[in-house]
Formats: sequence, C-alpha cells, structure tokens
Amino acid sequence: MSFELREVALVYPSRAGAVRALDGVTLAIAGGERVALLGPSGAGKSSLLKLFNATARPTAGAIRFEGRRLAALAGSDLRAVRRRIGTVFQQPSLVPSLTALQNALCGHLGSWSLARSLRALLAAAPSDTRVALAALKTVGLLDKAAARADELSGGQQQRVAIARVLVQDPEVVLTDEPFASLDPGLTAQLADLLLHVAQGRTLIAALHDVELALAHFPRIVGLRGGRVAFDAKAAEVSPQMLRELYAHEARGAVG
Amino acid sequence: MKRALLVGAIAAALVVCAIGAQVQTSPLFDPANLRAVGAFVRGLFPPDLSPAFLPVVARATLRTLGVAVAGTVLSMALGLPLGILGTASLWRRGPLLEGERQSLGRAALAAASLVARGLSRFLRAVPELVWALFFVVGFGLGPLPGTLALAVSYAGVLGRVYADLFEAVPPGPIVALHASGATRLQAFAAGIWPQAAGSVAAYSLYSFECCVRSAAVLGFVGAGGIGAEINLSMRLFEYGQVTTLLAALVLLVLGADAFSRALRGRFQRNAVHGSGLLRDALELRSARRGLGLVWLALLLFAFQQAGFVGIAAAGLWPHLGRFAAQLFPPDLSPAFLATLVTPLWQTVAISVVGTAIGIALGSVLALPATSTLLVADPDRRRGLPARALRVAIHGAARASLAVLRSIPELVWVLLCILAVGLGPFAGALALGLHTAGVLGKLYAETLEEVPPAPVEELRAIGAGALQRLLWGMWPQARETLASYTLLRWETNLRVSTVVGLVGGGGLGLALYNDVQLAFYDRAATLVLLIYLLVAATDALADRLRRRPTARGIALAPESALALIAESGSAAAP
Repeated sequence: MSFELREVALVYPSRAGAVRALDGVTLAIAGGERVALLGPSGAGKSSLLKLFNATARPTAGAIRFEGRRLAALAGSDLRAVRRRIGTVFQQPSLVPSLTALQNALCGHLGSWSLARSLRALLAAAPSDTRVALAALKTVGLLDKAAARADELSGGQQQRVAIARVLVQDPEVVLTDEPFASLDPGLTAQLADLLLHVAQGRTLIAALHDVELALAHFPRIVGLRGGRVAFDAKAAEVSPQMLRELYAHEARGAVG
Repeated sequence: MKRALLVGAIAAALVVCAIGAQVQTSPLFDPANLRAVGAFVRGLFPPDLSPAFLPVVARATLRTLGVAVAGTVLSMALGLPLGILGTASLWRRGPLLEGERQSLGRAALAAASLVARGLSRFLRAVPELVWALFFVVGFGLGPLPGTLALAVSYAGVLGRVYADLFEAVPPGPIVALHASGATRLQAFAAGIWPQAAGSVAAYSLYSFECCVRSAAVLGFVGAGGIGAEINLSMRLFEYGQVTTLLAALVLLVLGADAFSRALRGRFQRNAVHGSGLLRDALELRSARRGLGLVWLALLLFAFQQAGFVGIAAAGLWPHLGRFAAQLFPPDLSPAFLATLVTPLWQTVAISVVGTAIGIALGSVLALPATSTLLVADPDRRRGLPARALRVAIHGAARASLAVLRSIPELVWVLLCILAVGLGPFAGALALGLHTAGVLGKLYAETLEEVPPAPVEELRAIGAGALQRLLWGMWPQARETLASYTLLRWETNLRVSTVVGLVGGGGLGLALYNDVQLAFYDRAATLVLLIYLLVAATDALADRLRRRPTARGIALAPESALALIAESGSAAAP
C-alpha cells in the first residue's frame, strides 16, 4: 500500500476564520496506481496533494506512506520521503534566475549532500549534468538548456518542471492541474509526456479536464467540499455522478 | 575560467587593500591591547546609573534628538526646492518639453536644473562630519553647526531622492495638464506631487533615521550630544558611563526606527488613495488641531535644543565672511598634494576592507536572522526545547544586528582603537562592525521577501533548509543583495574619509589637523579631493550596476535605495 489516509482533516487558519480544506477523508492508494482527482475548485484537491508530498501536516487523522506516519517525520527522514515523491505544480514556479538545466538539476537536491549542492551551483558533476540533459531531451528542451527559466514560455516552463521530476526519479508522481494555464493543443502534448514520464510510477493527478481523466486514469476520486464524493473505476463513473460533483459550480457559473 | 579570473582579481584587490588598511592580526593579540579591552569590558559593568549622571545622559539624548529633528526638517525644506528644480522631466527633457520653442528662458531653466542636481550631489558627497567641522569654525561650538551640517548634507540626499521620485511618476496626467495650459509648476503641484507624496514622506523618514545616528557622532567635532559624552567618558576611562550612553544611543536609534516605520506604514496606506499628505494636513487642521499644536511645540523645542537661539550674535556674519574667504584659493601646491597620496589610498583601502568585513560578518548573522530559514521552517523538529533554542538563536542574531547597526561607525572607532590601537585598521574594523549590522539586516529581510513559490517546490523535492537557501533563495535574491552591498560600499567610502577625525586613519586625520591649525586653504583642497573621490566611485558603481541590473528588479530609484542602504531600515516602500 503506497498511501493510506484515515479520517484526515486539514484546516487552514485565515483572517476570516478557519478554512476546512479537507474533512474526514479516508483513502488508500496502492503502489503503481493511476488516480485522477476530480472536483470543483476549492474541493480540496490541492490540499490533498500537499498532504501526499508531505509539505502540509493534517490537522486531524493520519496519512501514512508505506506504513510510516508522515506527520511524525522531520529532518532527514522527511527529506528521504519527499525525495521519492515528485510533484508537478499548477503554475510551475521554477527558480527564475537559474537556467533550464539548473532547474532540472534541482531534481537531485533531495539526494545531494549540502557540499555537493554547493559545488553543483558553481559546476555540477558531469554525471549529474548528463542525467539532467537527458531529461531535458526527453521533454524536448535540450536546445533551451542554457536559457534562464524566466525567458521560457509557460508551456516550456511546465516541461522543465517535468524534466525536474525525471531527474528526481521518484516512485510517486503528483500533478496539480498541470495544464490549467495552457492552450488545448499544448495540453494534449504535455499530457502524453506526463503519462510517458509516469510509466512505472504511482501517478496521482488533480485534473479539471474530465475527459482526459476518464481516458487515461483507471481510477477516479471525486472530491467535493473537502470530502470524498465518490471513489470509483473510470468505467463506472456516470454522467449523473459528474453532474452532482460539479453541481454548485455550474449553478454559480450560470447565476 | 572567467569566473576564476574574477574571483582571483577580487581576492588580489582585497589583499592589497588589507595591506593598505594595515590589517594585522598581531594587534588583536597584543597583551597591552588585550589588557585595554579587558579593562574596558570589565569597566562596562555595572553601568553608571547614579543620580548625578542620568540627567547628563538625558540632556545629551534630548540634544541629539533635537539636532536630528531640526536637521531633518531643514534638510527637507532645502531638499524640496533642490529636488523640484533638479527634476529632469520638468525642465530638461521628456514629453513636457517636446514641441516647445527653444528660448533663452528655457535654456536658463535647464541649466539651473543641472546646477541643482550638481549641488545636491556635492552637498551629499562631502560627509556631514566635514560640514560640521567647517561650521564649528564658522559658528562656534555647540549644537547649531551640527544641525546645519545635517541640514546641508541631507538636503543633498533628499534633493536627489526627491528629483528621482518626481521623475519616476507616470507622465500621463502631467502631459494632460500641461496640454490644457498648466504651467510647469502647476503641472508639478497637480500632476507630480500627488503621485509622489507618499514616497517623498517615506524616504524623508528614512533620512530622519540616518540623521539620528549622524547627530550622535556630530559631538565628536564639538556639536554636543551623545557622541560628545561618549568621547569624554572614553577619555576619562569611565566605561560604566559609556555603557549607559551606548544603551541610550541604541534605544534612541531603535526608537527613531520604530517611529519612522509606524509613520511610513500610515503614509503608504494613504498613498494608495492619492495625495494622502495633503489630506492629512487638512484633517490635522480641522479635526486634530490640538494634536497639531503638540507637534508644533515639540518641533519648536527641537529647534531650541538644536541651538537656534541667539543665532543673531553680533559679529557672526563678518566672521563667517572672513572664514569663507580663507578657504580660497585651495592649496594645490605639488608638495602638499604629494602628502595626500598615502591618506587617500588608506581611505579607499579602509572602505574596501570595512565593507568586506561587513559582508562576511553580516552574512554569518543574516542566516540565523532570516525567519524563513530558522523559526518559520515547518520541517524543523518540533517539541519545546528545540523550538525554544531556535527562537533564542534567531532573537540573538537579530539583537546583535540591531546593536551593531545602532552604534555609528565613529563610535565603533573609539572602541576599536582600544583593541588595535590608532590607525586605519581601527577604522576598517569599525566600519566593518557597523556595516555588518546594516547589511546583515538588509540581507535577512531580502531573503525573507524572496518569492516563496519556487522555494516551496524545492522543499517538496526534498531540499533541506540550506539547500533551499542555495538553490532557491540566493538565485532570486542575489541581484538585490549585490545592489545593497554596492550601495553600502559607496556610503562606506564617504564614511572612511572621516574615521580619521577620531583616529581611524585616512584623509580624516589630515582634514582635522588642517582645520585645527587653521590651514583652511588646505582643508578646502581636502574637501575637493573627497568630492572627486566620491564622484569617481559613484561613476564606477554606476558602471558595475549597469550590467547585472539589465534584468534586475527596479524597486525604486537608485538614490532612494542608497538611502535605505545607509539607514539599514526595512525594505523599500
């Protein structure tokens, strides 16, 4: 069992009072599974991913990765777990003043020692650079290796982020609506790339594109108001279930 | 390869400068010096809190504050016309002037505008302590020459800052006003001022913070206040009194910082809605007349403290005239100029070594002082002892930076002389300690304000705190850090021309001697030399800046950032 969530709640403090992003989520995801998270904005998809990659701790309940409680980890144990979980974010936030190659090299950070990270900032070891260049080649950006990240287009930055995941070589890949800000042609291209990269790894993707989810993901988890609305095989997801999942959003959009 | 050459060149320059500043480790371990430092440290405790001494501290503190307030107000009054006249977009170039006929009047105004800019530059390039030295000769001992020195020097600073702020205002409204027949002064009042007022107020407050620290050291050349008392107590070996005075100074500086920060916050909020300053003034008139009167009374008290009583002493003006006449012509004889080569080189070396010490010590303290690296890092082990330790380290780093920063360079010189004896090394060390406080705080604040998203992604990959610093925060902050460091070096160069006044080596000693011995023509040469030196570094720094800021973040005009690098106070408004 890769991830195991039991009655997980996540509450953010905010000026307008506490925001309950997740509430009583119980879920198990096995190693090698491909799971799409669907749901209207604010349903808790991003919060769930933050729990998966151990950058947030649940307010209540427990999340376990291979049987270990993530909330109990700190320091090097936490780093060791995060190294095995790669994330592609909605708006990729590469380090703007570093080159595409350097941003791809960042995928090594979880396994590098401090001394090696310092040396690599000046000149990375040839073996590390080879891995990063190969990753850039896979995403088709070899010719942009020396370009600064802030000189790349949105789609190119997203591809560098994917290259960084390739360098990281994690067992689990998480993606948070990675195509939300791209045009449709680019989306198809990048989706293929991401699915290719995720081969042989657990893939958990928060998506807003329902068709994409149904076409490529055997398992769909519907989230609504911070709770699991349904957890079903893709073939079993009915239009009725989807309508209910997005019901409020649609009404809001019309009204 | 290129990088290796650059590093080599910088290292070589540092070594040469270290030799120039007579940096040696032996004085640090010299038994006599160690005894002096030991006696000093033992003497610091207990602080002198006797009923006879506390009133002295209170009077000195009030005097310093009064001089600072009066100096700031006068510098704003002088700086505003300089700034308006120095604004290129009003008189020299830009959409306002396009399509206008060439005329003699216009050419004269353009020339006057250039003169205003040059004058601001000159007033600023000469350190306030040098102005004070001259004014003490002209006006006699007391707080008045110090206040005037602050007024003149910071009028130069603010003149430049104001002009740059006025030029940075979006031109649309001004062009529209001018097109509808407004004169340029009307265009300024209705188009530029409302847009720039918030920043003008904010930077005037930064300059007030600088004035408070400057006012404290003006005492060294006879202008009274805390600096004079510290100097006296050091000479009398009354180190317990020094403790009390230093504590008063730190509190005064931090208090001024807090006051300025609070007011800046208010002006910034108002600035969003347009001319907050004007509205504030109007509100003051109607709703808060009582409070306004209190402020006015305080201001009058400040001017009284600053020596503006009995200014019309008989014989003052003829005396001033005689003194001014003696400055001309400056002594440019080769024999005299030859004696200046060594002090000039020492001055440059002191500024470089002082800045290097400041960068090194400031960086070391900045890391624990950066809250996002230490106390606000969610990955750290939780549990009370670990947390308490982190909070304590963070607090200690912040407090050391605050103390280093609050004590002006010239006071540090007095303390460093105990440790390493008279000479340029003491000056460099002193400059380094103060600079560490300023740069350390600026570094920590810059690192804290780096856009967090890329850093968070590195955290998700498994990067530790220091790895995030190296790969996420440093790349995003390096241009700002470099810019602050460069600006601080420019400030330090100006300061290193005066550390000699109290025994820290460089041009200051020669200047002090020439003024004391009434060789005013030589003193005039020295002022000229200082101006040329500062102008040359300005030009050099401009060249250095050109390259990296091609893509750099344009926060605020360079002159305004320089003011921040001098005060070491919170980030740009």
